[in-house]
Amino acid sequence: MNQQKPEYFRPALIAGAIAGVLSGLPFVSAGNCLCCLWIVGGAALAVNLLAKNTAGILTSGDGAIVGALTGIVAAVVDTLMSIPLRPFNMELARRVMGKVSEFGYDMPSNLDGFLDGGSGVMSPGWFLLGLFLSAAVFTVVGVLGGIIGVSLFAKKKPQAAPPSTTQGSGDAV
Amino acid sequence: MSRPGISRTVLAVYLLTVAGTVIWLAAIFLAPVLAGRGSAGAARLIYAAFSPICHQVPGRCFTFHGHPLAVCGRCLGIYLGFSAGLVLYPFVRGFSKLELPSSRVFLLLTLPMAVDGAAGILRIWASPMRVRFVTGVVWGTILPFFFVTGLADLRLAKRKRAAARTLEKIRVNNVE
Repeated sequence: MNQQKPEYFRPALIAGAIAGVLSGLPFVSAGNCLCCLWIVGGAALAVNLLAKNTAGILTSGDGAIVGALTGIVAAVVDTLMSIPLRPFNMELARRVMGKVSEFGYDMPSNLDGFLDGGSGVMSPGWFLLGLFLSAAVFTVVGVLGGIIGVSLFAKKKPQAAPPSTTQGSGDAV
Repeated sequence: MSRPGISRTVLAVYLLTVAGTVIWLAAIFLAPVLAGRGSAGAARLIYAAFSPICHQVPGRCFTFHGHPLAVCGRCLGIYLGFSAGLVLYPFVRGFSKLELPSSRVFLLLTLPMAVDGAAGILRIWASPMRVRFVTGVVWGTILPFFFVTGLADLRLAKRKRAAARTLEKIRVNNVE
């Protein structure tokens, strides 16, 4: 464990902005439907940037912190992008639901009302609630992505001497 | 990596993760129940909470009480796989060491879902829901081995820094 804290914020800001833009763009945002690709990928990218700018070895705890920050930044960017794109997204959702219903799936009876209501201006309360929910979910997913990023990108510790205590069969995983 | 006090920290993080997973899964199943009982506002809130990370297309979601779950079949598979991984965690990893799974194992378990998902997006094939669910389960199973390890490591690092600060204060006071 490094005694000196790595500089988390800059990589999180860059990677979070990229992940947030990708999560907010129509069509492209569908990547998040595949195991939160943009958020997990963004957090892993943040770890990659952090690893390049850090002399020491990153721990999984470092990955968790930078991943959480990336998730928060992505949630803010995504929510801000959703304001101007909201009418377009609602129209897109209407078309997708129309296509889905063509295949014989039942749509909720109040869907049209929901989509019509969503085309208007969002109230500050709903905006803040949406931001809070996005931030909560993206933070959890970002933590996971950051830790996975450490496994993929961080420098490995040099092989230590054989351990003095016997451990379980964890190496199997 | 083995450090003193590690077992209690990992166990605490593990139990918190189990509690969080139970709440997460309960919310997924609660949304259709609420929708079925006419509590549209509460149901909508839960559906909205999961909307940033799942398309929630009704035809790709399992149904419960006549309404789609809050997430699609693949996402449900990931979360149930995560739960399965949590059940396996004490037997496979134990609570006395902090070690991330190898990246090769992670990539291997990601491969089925990545291939299936990419093929679906590129319209090479449209896999049935059970295939999406199973590939999600396979991927989800490895995730707690990252999540619990990472958060436990973070907690231990914070404690270590706090202990170092306390020691430094004591040393300064003694010198004065």
